[in-house]
Amino acid sequence: MTTTSDVIAAVPAPIPLGHAPDHRGSWIPTGGMIATRFMELRKRRGLMVALIVVTIAIPAVFLVIRLLTHAIAPKSYGAAGGEDIFNALVAGVIYVFGFIVAATLGCTAGSVDLTEGMFRHLVVTGRSRLALYLARIPAGLAIVVPLVAIGFTIVCAVCVFAAPTQVSYQGANVPAGLSEAGLAHWANDHPDEVICNFNYQGGSGVVTTVLNSNAVPCNGRGGGPVIQKGPGAPTVSAAPTPAMIRTAAVLMARQNYPAYSKVFLSPSVGLMIRTGLWIELEVAVGFIVGLGLGSLLGQRTVAVILMIVLEIVLTPIVVRANIPHLINLQRSVVGLAVDHLEPSDLGFVFGGGGGPDGGQGTSLLVPESRTAAVFVIIAWLVGWTALGAWRMVKRDA
Amino acid sequence: MSLTVSAETEHRHDSESQWAVETHGLTKRFGENIAVNGVELLVPRGCAFGYLGPNGAGKTTLIRVLLGLTHADAGTMRLLGHPVPRHRAAALARVGAIVDEPRFHGHLTGRQNLQILAAAREPEAKLRIGPSLERVGMVHRGDDKVSKYSMGMRQRLGVAACLIGDPQLLILDEPMNGLDPAGMQDMRDMILSLVAEGRTVVLSSHLLDEVERTCDAVAIVDRGKVIRQGAITDLLAGSSFVVEVECSEPSRAGQLLTGTSVGGRVEIGPVGLGITLPAGTGRDVIAEINRVLVDGGVSVYRLQQIQTSLESWFLQVTSRLGAPE
Repeated sequence: MTTTSDVIAAVPAPIPLGHAPDHRGSWIPTGGMIATRFMELRKRRGLMVALIVVTIAIPAVFLVIRLLTHAIAPKSYGAAGGEDIFNALVAGVIYVFGFIVAATLGCTAGSVDLTEGMFRHLVVTGRSRLALYLARIPAGLAIVVPLVAIGFTIVCAVCVFAAPTQVSYQGANVPAGLSEAGLAHWANDHPDEVICNFNYQGGSGVVTTVLNSNAVPCNGRGGGPVIQKGPGAPTVSAAPTPAMIRTAAVLMARQNYPAYSKVFLSPSVGLMIRTGLWIELEVAVGFIVGLGLGSLLGQRTVAVILMIVLEIVLTPIVVRANIPHLINLQRSVVGLAVDHLEPSDLGFVFGGGGGPDGGQGTSLLVPESRTAAVFVIIAWLVGWTALGAWRMVKRDA
Repeated sequence: MSLTVSAETEHRHDSESQWAVETHGLTKRFGENIAVNGVELLVPRGCAFGYLGPNGAGKTTLIRVLLGLTHADAGTMRLLGHPVPRHRAAALARVGAIVDEPRFHGHLTGRQNLQILAAAREPEAKLRIGPSLERVGMVHRGDDKVSKYSMGMRQRLGVAACLIGDPQLLILDEPMNGLDPAGMQDMRDMILSLVAEGRTVVLSSHLLDEVERTCDAVAIVDRGKVIRQGAITDLLAGSSFVVEVECSEPSRAGQLLTGTSVGGRVEIGPVGLGITLPAGTGRDVIAEINRVLVDGGVSVYRLQQIQTSLESWFLQVTSRLGAPE
């Protein structure tokens, strides 16, 4: 057993001139510094509750309510999951609020040592102030990244496993994920659904005959629009046989397969991975910028307010308003850069991000190449880290 | 204790230097205000050293400069022989300090706060957390949140934070603040035990009585300057002292002493005299006072030499009495 007298017994041996033990002057933080900084942040109950509520609880509660309502009244309430829900929760909740709570955590990590009087104790240890600053980055990311990952995983799981069982394609409820042959087979069994709802692109006399004959009662729904008339004049002949109707339905199904195959019940694995990485990038940016700002200002409240203003006021204005004289300034805003890295198939939640055009300029965002966006993000991360560290090194403790 | 610097020692700038703290011409300005004004300070190793001064004299600022909490505008300094700020990390590796009121993360326990500080020190520091808490009498409260601590408990935790670095030099800024009498006694005993182990303790305080009881040597700072420093006994030996005389006819006794070779300043009270004699006055003068009074027919009931206290001496030499050096 270690006792006081064993550990603190006599004056220790002097340290040779200029020799700092354990690389104390090094700017690289130790594992212990990171671990204790992690502990210090994790023990902030209010902050952790806010983080968990925003990143996990809000999406989870929303999904649970949808699961329950769908289970109770499936005809009135749609499925809990699906790609639309995924888009809305990821880009509408986790993206925005994830940034804000990550920034709050960063501002806290950057300022509390100073405001709570611990900075002075830490400086007196002789440890490099830069190392003290840098230890906060992995510690904070170790909190916010897993929390966002958990929330995102819950959303993904529900959106996949509670996805609708049928796709609503042009008003018809069609089983999802069918091959072209499968869709043709389904059309053969449900000719009325196809003929009344699917688009017809012309090119078939049989289909034209069936459509013009009004042999299939659509109960006021009308048939799918005839986009292009096929060869041969429409003729009013004898009522088409059931076999002709089924043939026409199969032909229309084959014509519609390319469009149908782009409708998903749930987000694809690739989309989920890309979106997850994009969300984590967003919260990492929020944390590191918040850390630098908190350290620079030396207090949390103003820093948090500024970060919120940046995220929900300044960025939405800057990313949409195309001001020719200020366009390069707009491009330097990190929110725009992150939006441009949004997975192209995530949907137009923020005006497109990369959007379906892959950032070619047809989205609502101020145009910016992906390369430029990457450089802007790197510049923000490095710049704010340098500013925060510089202030910490130069600050009177 | 002599604080004379030999030429040889002055040029011996290594970690074996006899001075725990050594400053030359140290200056710190805040705009027009000079908080630390060309301070020449020598703190010998292995002693308890009091750093005294009235409020606003620049005590805490000097400590902050020494510890690298703020930069100096001019001058040089060494801690444990290491020049700072050049070898700051090596110097502070064996320094523990409390500056101003010790504050910690309130949402963490005392032990967790010490874990944060230990992680910034060498790996062995973690092993010293328990013993440090034990030494300051906080082992049973170490797992309570700091927000529930009293001021005195935070002071103790501050000392524990110093001890986890196994320091050769402790710099304690007003460590008695917030302590009850028993706590002050404990703190005093702890400081003495640390000195007994060969460590150096620099105690910045305005509690002169505590400093006198605890420290071997002091420096007096006033308006940013060190105006006196040395062993307490040496400093007080160089100050005036008072001889109290209880006698039958104080007024006549005063007249008898006036104009004699006794000298000094005589104050007449209802039951006797107070005679202030200059520094260096020999004991035979006291006998001469007695002889003059008895020969003059005055009955002397009591005659006592009152040694100047540190507090009286402090007030003499600082600007409080309008006699700045």
